[in-house]
Amino acid sequence: MLKLNLKIAWRNLWKNKVYAAINILGLALGLTAFVLMILYINHEESYDKWSPELKNVYQIREKHDFFTPDNKEHWNEVSNSRIANLIRTKLPQAVAVTKVDNDWDFGSGYSVKTENADPVMVNNIKDSDSSFFKVFDYQFVQGSADKALENKNTIVLKEDLALKLFGTTRALGKTIRMIRWRDDKGNLLTVTGIVSEPKSPQSVGFSAIVRTGNKDKDPDEPTNNNYCLMYAKLNKASDTLVLNQTLQKLYVDFKKNLLKGQKQDDEDIHKPEKVPGLKVIPLENVHSNPPYTLSWFEKLKPVMAISAFLLLVSIINFINLATAQSVQRAKEVGVKKVLGSYKRQLTAQFLIESGLQSLISLFLCIVLIEMVLPTFNQQFNVALSFWHNAKLFVLIAQLLGLFVFVTLLSGLYPAWILSNYNPVAVLKGNYENGLRGIALRNVLVVFQFVISVTFIISIGVMEMQSRFMSNKDLGFERGNLINIETGYEDKFAERLKKIPGVQYVATTTQVLGNSFNVPEEIQYKGKPIKLNTVTVTMDALPALGMKVLQGRIFSKEYKSDTVNTVVLNEAAANLFGKNLLGQTYQKTDWQGKNNIFQVVGIIKNYHNEGFDKAVLPTVYKVTKLGGTSNTNNLLVRFNTAHYREIISKIEKEWKIMYPNFPMVYTSLEDAFSKSLEENRQFMNMIILFSLVSVSLSLLGLFALSTFVAKRKTKEIAVRKVLGASNIQIVSLLNKSFLILVIVANLVSWPIAYIIIKKWLEGFAYRIEMPFVPFVTATLISLIIAILTVSIQARKAAITDPVNALKYE
Amino acid sequence: MIQLTNIEKYYANKGVKNYVLRLVTTTINQGEFVSIMGPSGAGKSTLLNIIGMLEEPTYGIYNFLGEDVTNLNERKRIELYRNHIGFVFQAYHLIDEMTVYENIEAPLLYKKVGSGERASRIADLLDRFNMVAKKDLFPNQLSGGQQQLVGIARALAAQPSIILADEPTGNLQSAQAEEIMSLFKKLNEEEGITIIQVTHSEKNAQYGSRILHIADGLIKEDVAVTA
Ligand SMILES: Nc1ncnc2c1ncn2[C@@H]1O[C@H](COP(=O)(O)OP(=O)(O)O)[C@@H](O)[C@H]1O
Ligand SMILES: [Mg+2]
Repeated sequence: MLKLNLKIAWRNLWKNKVYAAINILGLALGLTAFVLMILYINHEESYDKWSPELKNVYQIREKHDFFTPDNKEHWNEVSNSRIANLIRTKLPQAVAVTKVDNDWDFGSGYSVKTENADPVMVNNIKDSDSSFFKVFDYQFVQGSADKALENKNTIVLKEDLALKLFGTTRALGKTIRMIRWRDDKGNLLTVTGIVSEPKSPQSVGFSAIVRTGNKDKDPDEPTNNNYCLMYAKLNKASDTLVLNQTLQKLYVDFKKNLLKGQKQDDEDIHKPEKVPGLKVIPLENVHSNPPYTLSWFEKLKPVMAISAFLLLVSIINFINLATAQSVQRAKEVGVKKVLGSYKRQLTAQFLIESGLQSLISLFLCIVLIEMVLPTFNQQFNVALSFWHNAKLFVLIAQLLGLFVFVTLLSGLYPAWILSNYNPVAVLKGNYENGLRGIALRNVLVVFQFVISVTFIISIGVMEMQSRFMSNKDLGFERGNLINIETGYEDKFAERLKKIPGVQYVATTTQVLGNSFNVPEEIQYKGKPIKLNTVTVTMDALPALGMKVLQGRIFSKEYKSDTVNTVVLNEAAANLFGKNLLGQTYQKTDWQGKNNIFQVVGIIKNYHNEGFDKAVLPTVYKVTKLGGTSNTNNLLVRFNTAHYREIISKIEKEWKIMYPNFPMVYTSLEDAFSKSLEENRQFMNMIILFSLVSVSLSLLGLFALSTFVAKRKTKEIAVRKVLGASNIQIVSLLNKSFLILVIVANLVSWPIAYIIIKKWLEGFAYRIEMPFVPFVTATLISLIIAILTVSIQARKAAITDPVNALKYE
Repeated sequence: MIQLTNIEKYYANKGVKNYVLRLVTTTINQGEFVSIMGPSGAGKSTLLNIIGMLEEPTYGIYNFLGEDVTNLNERKRIELYRNHIGFVFQAYHLIDEMTVYENIEAPLLYKKVGSGERASRIADLLDRFNMVAKKDLFPNQLSGGQQQLVGIARALAAQPSIILADEPTGNLQSAQAEEIMSLFKKLNEEEGITIIQVTHSEKNAQYGSRILHIADGLIKEDVAVTA
């Protein structure tokens, strides 16, 4: 019976090749988007799950406002290094605690030299302490977890890096010189272990773990703090709630003791917002709970919704076509019923048919995925794989589940319709009620077009917003400007300035691509103002090409500029009020000393982060008064656009000064493109989804119009005999579909408006809601709908009426 | 075998009852070959459909094999289809996607006849109807008469005790019609299968043993055929 049903299913598919192809192709498209999503979710879910030992590992998080992007308090991954020792000594459950470097966004790694080879830059070398491999259960290819970091100046390599540096994984005992900045003397490190790359991704990724000794101790001075990542392994998985209560109490006591005698800070602790905070979270939750940004799950939610939608749309096509076709199968149902078939046997038969189609779609989908994965991986900077999936079994189970789900969803309704045909009606010959479910089909077509039109509108608005961002005045001149990743040093800067074509050499802590926020609170006319402090050299503002709004910017002619003058940006000036030039404000430093600063100029706001963030109120100063900070930015402005040659001259100078460290730089043009990258990626994804969605809707419309044209063959023939022209017939068929598309447009306008408004609100700098994309989307949808329907309508219109009438 | 008592059938339309059958009472015994005749729209098909339990009478009592089947549930009805009733249609109603062989096999699959038994029965039927060479063809590759032969073979496959045929030769030329009629006669005489057919042709009716003349929803005449 099953065999026969499969045979019939196959013959039916073959008989209706075009429909079947549309069905299967559409479903495959919908499935592809969805399965890609599953792959991605699986990948994100698999973080930090490569060993069962990791169940008892926790990440330590401290609540503070250092280095946070908005200068507000957050639960940070990067925490005060003293906590490690605190937990080690005071928490009995702790088996091992380790400190390790954070991934910093900027900085391309360390220079590594092996014997006489040229130095190479290696990313992701992290400094840690002897406990690292006691906390993280890595598989040692050579060496052992216990012994590897026993001594200082040791390094454990991942297999990849060992191969890259030595060409072999048998590198135990070899030495490496690691130079961390350009004039670092470097550490001579002995390779004491090689570990293999785990099967699943790690939130603490590394190419090598070193123990220089820096992570072994904490600063002596109680007000000096080091910040790093910390992980603890406990003797058993514990209730985090209870654990965190204990830790919190421990930490408050610890801080009180530490700061005894530091009067002011001690008082701070009792201010409600300054209570120290300490907690741990299980390692497996780390990746899904980033401290400042939305978790991958939150970010992905809209995309998940979209891909689920697309799958739904393709299933809708399927249902639509199957019910439209059901008339053809009515006789079969009637006859089988009188031959003694149960209704459920018929239902099963039609489910088998949709099952067969979804199975083919699933295979097609796997093929499609194999084809698009490389591009997908490149676009979204991931390394997903289908066959080499670490959890292939899970994936196959998921696909099976999906198969059953899709089959039931797409097959149940048509099967129900079909198996409900009344045999008498059918056998009497009047089963022409294929119009049954026409209302539902119309609703489904409208639904598909609502999605497609919403997509087209969104693309339009996103394109406009992107164009707005790429053309927006950044407030500084990004051309002819590069940023060398190194600190400012007078001697080197002077040598560079001598090179012809170099206009300015300067440093700042705030530049697109590497902005470092130092928050402070000042007093102006008795009122407190929160500002972001940026330390610059004399030439930094002109090097950036800053626009001066009032007063002046720093210059050597003014002695006071090295004493106590500051320049504010517009955002900061707005906080102060009017007539600001020449005014002074005060800032109390941590020792309680009052410093007076004088405002000499106001510059236009300039962007140093993506357009989603508003420019912070910022004060710029050259003076050392009130403390300075510095980061690895060496800005070099050229007075010509042809600066390739000049860069090689700079590199020559660099080699003389710092032979052990390669020079790394980015142009500000690139930094700007990079800041737009995330948005670009998001947009590409939406475009991809839109393409799928629109083609699905068109496939659906095409198939449905084919069907209707066929159903109306006789009507068309009669009308032609009565004298209707081809055009009249084409428009006759078009009319009913156009109404649907228009309804879809009306529905999608408000939906698109709401979604887009929300999306735009994510940008601090954005366009006004435009009107044009709405109109364009409607026009596009109407035109393509007319084209699609007309293909079929024309075919029906030009057939010879005699044939149709003779054989009906 | 079949006992109809005061069978009525009407269609209510805007509150008006349109009677198709009124107070039909008759008995048909095992082994009879009955022809139902009458003008178009008289209610012949309706009567046959009621006998075949495809339609339910609005009033009256229907006994089939001594059992009241007036209000039968689906399961019971399907059991009767599988084991006792074979249908033959004017428009043949073969399943287009199945070959001749598969069409004949279908009722046996529903009846869960074992594969060996199935094959031998089908082979037997194909042989009897001279269709062996055509067993792998699809219905649209056959002539009308051949299709109806397959239709009858299909009806016979499950070895029913009664065959209901609604104008089985209505779409056929007279030579083919005669072939079908003599086949029916042979089945009736040699295998004792009860046959009820609707026909327009006096000639076809002569093949049977009894004629029911229907007009205006009533049995006007019930005559035996004298050979
Ligand atoms: N579903 C229905 N609704 C209303 N009237 C019906 C329906 N089916 C059949 N009829 C009417 O019943 C009458 C008898 O039909 P039928 O039994 O098919 O006649 P015939 O004797 O030609 O086979 C006809 O007048 C037909 O119009
Ligand atoms: Mg009739």
